[in-house]
Amino acid sequence: MATAAMGGGFMNQIMRSKTVSLVGKAAAPPWPSSYFLVSLKRKGIGFQLYCCSNINNNNSNTYLTLKDEELMRQCELNTFKASGPGGQHRNKRESAVRLKHLPTGIIARAVEDRSQHMNRASALARLRTLIALKANCCLIDMNEVRNPVSLESYSPPPELLQILPRNSTLRRSDSGPQIGPNNPKFILGMQALLDLIFAVDGSISDAAKLLGMSTGALSRLILSDDSLWKAVNELRASKGMNPLK
Amino acid sequence: MLKLRSSGLSCGVCANFRIPIPRCYMNSITTSSIDVKPKVPLYLRPPSFSASLSELTKWHKWAKNLASSVGSSFINLDNGPDSTLLRRELNWLLQDLIELQYRSVILSRLESGNNENPDVSVALRAPLEEMYCVWRQRIEKRRPFQYVVGCEHWRDLVLSVQEGVLIPRPETEVIIDLVEGVALNNAPELAQSFWADLGTGSGAIAIATARALATHARGDACGRVIATDLSSVAVAVATSNVQRYGLQDVVEVRKGSWFEPLKDVQGKLAGVLSNPPYIPSGDISGLQAEVGQHEPILALDGGISGTNDLLHLIDGVASMLKPGGFFAFETNGEQQCKFLVEYIENEKPGSFRDMNIVSDFAGIQRFVMGFRR
Ligand SMILES: C[S@@+](CC[C@H](N)C(=O)[O-])C[C@H]1O[C@@H](n2cnc3c(N)ncnc32)[C@H](O)[C@@H]1O
Repeated sequence: MATAAMGGGFMNQIMRSKTVSLVGKAAAPPWPSSYFLVSLKRKGIGFQLYCCSNINNNNSNTYLTLKDEELMRQCELNTFKASGPGGQHRNKRESAVRLKHLPTGIIARAVEDRSQHMNRASALARLRTLIALKANCCLIDMNEVRNPVSLESYSPPPELLQILPRNSTLRRSDSGPQIGPNNPKFILGMQALLDLIFAVDGSISDAAKLLGMSTGALSRLILSDDSLWKAVNELRASKGMNPLK
Repeated sequence: MLKLRSSGLSCGVCANFRIPIPRCYMNSITTSSIDVKPKVPLYLRPPSFSASLSELTKWHKWAKNLASSVGSSFINLDNGPDSTLLRRELNWLLQDLIELQYRSVILSRLESGNNENPDVSVALRAPLEEMYCVWRQRIEKRRPFQYVVGCEHWRDLVLSVQEGVLIPRPETEVIIDLVEGVALNNAPELAQSFWADLGTGSGAIAIATARALATHARGDACGRVIATDLSSVAVAVATSNVQRYGLQDVVEVRKGSWFEPLKDVQGKLAGVLSNPPYIPSGDISGLQAEVGQHEPILALDGGISGTNDLLHLIDGVASMLKPGGFFAFETNGEQQCKFLVEYIENEKPGSFRDMNIVSDFAGIQRFVMGFRR
């Protein structure tokens, strides 16, 4: 494996090398300064995740609202070291990319795209999804650090309204057209939805009521995106509920 | 005359995959008069063929088996592709072959081996017989996948390529990061004047640079790119790629050797970029078959030490750039990078500032860059 810290990659190498004084614009990495290690134990399998000390909804949103370059700057980029001299010598599409988000330790990979650049873009998109989902995993086991969604006076945040289908009674004329899973903003809505489902202990029908839609319509929305579907089922499993099918 | 190593490939059913060598130009003096017609890549052809789902499934099984039969024999032979990579290429071939509308349904059917509705007809961009032929060429003749489908995905571009033009490499994608991240971020005014891409091949660097200049230019004064190449096929293919991206007013393709077609912009260039041939002549015979037997030698062979063209570029670049102008050249690796930096320091003292060696994504020192003082 070859490692190049991102900004994109070469930038940091330039900054580290001796001759250079030209890179003035690479901003300081905006990640928070204190992390601690959280161990999650579920079904007997332990896995670890670095979380920010004050992880909460706002905090993972902070990452998710970063522009691509900004998020990339928080990542370490790895590509698989080609055997041999590479460049003109070689015709092999080994453009596998692995991104590690340093503040959270979350890793995303991509190999299936046909250019290095697009693999980077796919890995970054995947990273956004993972940040949204894993931030939530943390919350499941870290109940106490999280401000619960207030259910009495619940009103969905705008990013959640954006992903709801037209037939939700809460959608207003200014909510804009429905955003689908291919839109990068979907992840923010997905996160807000997971927060709500968590707050109602995994009950899809309760969440649907609060969103002004039928249980069927909410199930369809959840099933429309694989990662959302898996996250909801993980969440339900942690509450001892059956998976959604 | 235009000599293509792959013209020896023979395969009855796919005559249109051979480069037509026009007979009427036999007595032409220079290669510039050869009329090279760029070929249409598979993914851009109309879906005017069809096959039943069962025929397509049969072809897919056959092609997959052929890919699997390779195992790691090519790796052992010349560090070529293994079965895993070939099967990934097969998926990309299917993506380009099947018409968009039902593509994902068909692909998942092929993947799952589900054989309901075998008679349903699938729209294809080439006849299935041709696919038997080209996949055999891929495996048996080691014809590069990119020549088979007629394109390469490079950064966010899809560039047409064909025999006679170098397939752009993933490593070279980094040159554009340098243009954006180092040159334009550091000196935004460079986005407003002329850049050059020497030895443009498919036009990859020139096209991506033109797009970067457009994003970085402030106001309406956007820079332009001049792309040069000595090869007629490269000039024709680069020109057609430029047109496909609607950049004919921004990128001008000129035929000629290195700086020779650039006399009118001497001392005026804001940037000079190049990925010249840099493989030492002695390494050519040991190259993996896809490269050594199919790609143009003019694009690869850099003389005994591989640095003939790089040294020529370094000798000329100072007088081509305006003060503050940027250059970046791709090299064979650490040894060439160090040699070139040393050469510049000794032979061109005081001509450049902020010179640097930059690594590619595999961690190999790959590029030499700097600014004209
Ligand atoms: C390694 S290829 C690079 C192609 C393209 N820039 C890329 O990165 O994909 C080198 C290119 O230089 C061209 N070339 C070779 N000798 C040349 C010369 N004397 N003048 C101009 N171009 C030349 C070749 O035709 C080839 O297109």
